[in-house]
Amino acid sequence: MLQVKALQKSFDGFLAVNDTTLNVEKGDVVAVIGPNGAGKTTLFHLITGQLAPTSGSILFKEENIAGMLPYLVCRKGISRSYQVVNIFNRLTVFENVQVAVLSYRKKTFNIFQPAKTMAVSETRKILGSVGLLDKSEMTSGSLSHGDQKVLEIAIALGNRPELLILDEPTAGMSPEETAVTLRLMERLSGELGLTILFCEHDMGMVFSIASRIMVMKQGKSIIQGSPDEVRNNQQVREAYLGGADQCST
Amino acid sequence: MILYNALFSKKTIIIGIVLLVAFLLLPYFLTRFYIYLLALIFAICLLATSLNMVLGFGGMYQFHHAVFYGFGAYAFALFVTKSGLPIWIGYVIAPFCSALLGLVLGLITVRLTQLYFGMLQLSLGSLVWAITYRWYSFTGGDDGIHGIPIPDLIGSSTGAYYFNLIVTAACLLLMYIIVNSPFGRTFQGIRDNPERCEAVGINVQRQQLVGQIIAAFFAGIAGTLFVTIEGSVFPDLMFWTFSMETLIMCLLGGWFFFMGPALGAVIIITVRTFVGIYTEYWTLILGLVLMLLIFFLPEGVLSLFFKKDVPSEKKEG
Amino acid sequence: MEFATNISLASLFQQVLVGLSRTTILFIVASGLSLVLGVLRIPNVAHGSLYMVGAFMTYTFASLFGQSALGFWLALTVAPLGVALISFLVERSLFCHLYEREHMMLLLFTFAFSLVIGDMVKLIWGSDYRSLTAPLFLQGSFSISGFPFPRYNLFLLMMGPLVAAGLWFLTNKTKIGKIARAAAVDREMVGAIGINVSGVFAAVFVIGCYLAGLGGALVAPTQNITQGMDHAIIIEAFLIVIIGGLGNIWGALLGALIFGLTDSIGILLLPQFAIVFPYMAVVIVLIFRPKGLLKSTW
Repeated sequence: MLQVKALQKSFDGFLAVNDTTLNVEKGDVVAVIGPNGAGKTTLFHLITGQLAPTSGSILFKEENIAGMLPYLVCRKGISRSYQVVNIFNRLTVFENVQVAVLSYRKKTFNIFQPAKTMAVSETRKILGSVGLLDKSEMTSGSLSHGDQKVLEIAIALGNRPELLILDEPTAGMSPEETAVTLRLMERLSGELGLTILFCEHDMGMVFSIASRIMVMKQGKSIIQGSPDEVRNNQQVREAYLGGADQCST
Repeated sequence: MILYNALFSKKTIIIGIVLLVAFLLLPYFLTRFYIYLLALIFAICLLATSLNMVLGFGGMYQFHHAVFYGFGAYAFALFVTKSGLPIWIGYVIAPFCSALLGLVLGLITVRLTQLYFGMLQLSLGSLVWAITYRWYSFTGGDDGIHGIPIPDLIGSSTGAYYFNLIVTAACLLLMYIIVNSPFGRTFQGIRDNPERCEAVGINVQRQQLVGQIIAAFFAGIAGTLFVTIEGSVFPDLMFWTFSMETLIMCLLGGWFFFMGPALGAVIIITVRTFVGIYTEYWTLILGLVLMLLIFFLPEGVLSLFFKKDVPSEKKEG
Repeated sequence: MEFATNISLASLFQQVLVGLSRTTILFIVASGLSLVLGVLRIPNVAHGSLYMVGAFMTYTFASLFGQSALGFWLALTVAPLGVALISFLVERSLFCHLYEREHMMLLLFTFAFSLVIGDMVKLIWGSDYRSLTAPLFLQGSFSISGFPFPRYNLFLLMMGPLVAAGLWFLTNKTKIGKIARAAAVDREMVGAIGINVSGVFAAVFVIGCYLAGLGGALVAPTQNITQGMDHAIIIEAFLIVIIGGLGNIWGALLGALIFGLTDSIGILLLPQFAIVFPYMAVVIVLIFRPKGLLKSTW
């Protein structure tokens, strides 16, 4: 579904992503792991169009989307959440998700219908599936951090993505919230059949959910394989897992 | 109409009707001066609310909104004095001229964001002002145009009052519907987080361009209302300081409330009129009030009455 | 070019020289604005008002000495310092509490400040215009191939590079300049390494406003000193800063040159629309380079 080939991104000569290769098949749950500064977030920014790559190609369903503007990438069927909470602070939880649903339905230039009556059932369904339905009338800026992170995912679901990209979905969450989010991701993958690409520092979580894992270090992709392959790979053990203890804390 | 039930609570409808009836009856109790003043307030309410559509609900740094207002007023004045066609047509054409200006300026400015957007708009608006100010043979230069004929029906001060009241009320209703439409909802999303809007598939620049055009359209209507009362136009209508005053109205009333800017306009125009009788240092007072407002009441007067659990303002990168 | 037939080379040359001396004033004012905008992120609408205050103060100080040469030089020194003092007091008492607010709020706050200054000037100096004459040896003009060129404009032409050199020295060679440049790029980082950012901001603000005052002082003998001169210059200064690139001092110089020269060429070609020429130049620049000609600091 998604093939990243020989991708490079340099900032004033500094190679944040250098010769990265990544393969995501339909139905996969792929985790990208690596120490801080390995280029994981930059890689996601490149895929979803927030940044334009210096060179290399990103094929999504056989189409090169490298350098495409974010809103066009989204319309191709890729949605994402952010590492740092990135929601519509002054809107209610309901409205946050509704904006994405309205965008998906191409209603953003409709100026006469009352928005309150539109896309209600779908929005509520999404909120129900992530467990935010009872908070739907709260202003999103006043939610707890954990709930805001969940809302991040809910907004991304509003576009009915085929590929869902989650940038550290459990960052800053309590262990209970992490467990809930983990179950949510399992459901999204299992019940909805979503393809998920995510990065995460919590190794326990990564190895419990990911069907494939890609390891990045200093902008390079070292290896991509099944959890067992990655766990047993000598190079990974030396290069990365030795430092994983620090990262996961 | 059933469609719009969701937008209006019973309370809103009742308050709206009471206000409308009160305003319809008011001219029987007021002197000519107050009728004139209220008619002016209506026009400025419409202007401030149209500004707030892009400012408070769209997060666009609309620094020079008055240029669309002045442009509408001039378009009307020039049409009426030069074309010889029926005056009523001018009322239809002028807002579209403003919308067209909104499109042209918007095409250049929406490529930028925040402060850059605002300052570029300030520059382009000033260019429009400069041309108007200098083009004596066409716009009358700094003298402006006076004695613009108004249809007899609304030529009297009471007639102008009713005309402005009805047009303003209709436009406010329309803008309220727009603000609560999917377009308005998307616009509020862009205000809060343009980056995220891009990521959910919204073409932010096009959305802002359309918002700009709509706001300019309503500002143009406000401009024609001004001409209806005054019968004249002059370059100060599109001078940047007037844009700033309009921004102050939005701030004063509360730019996260639909009716905030209108309230701000009422307060500013009223206070200016009456303070102006006693002192020529009105702007000194306005400046001091504005400073206090920014320090102590940055969300406007209405935030005193309608407390929302809104997160405090955040500066964006 | 057809229009060139009735414009002699000499008059063009003279117009360009006059344009350049106007450029000097614009550059001095705009560079101050750019400095404040680039480092503090404040779109200071009151900048023009401070320029006006500078001009009025120059008039007052010079008049104290009966508009003598000594008085003129003294006024030229003291008036900008007076403006700097005002800005220092205002920054420490008001602005420093607002740095974290939205740009919109900052803009409106400086607008409020400009309203207050405007009326204070009216209170202190009244509504009449004032005029000031330059010292004798700067009066009159000398001729360039038959066309008179005012001596005072020559003096202005010399001040421009002086101020530019001073600003270059300040931003590149002094500690405060280096910190300010770093703070313009990443304010939090500079604060995190233990530098008193607030103090640096105050200094930059005061220097920027000093330049507004200096511009006002220098312009005083060339035109009537009136209410409303603040509104005229501030938009021009903003335009210059935008086409130059926000926060870039050399951009301000380039912008002022474009502005001053198109203005003077406009006066030659179409006097009635002279004011439109620089605005058109700005629009053309911005259509192709919406973020200005030179690299902005942000």
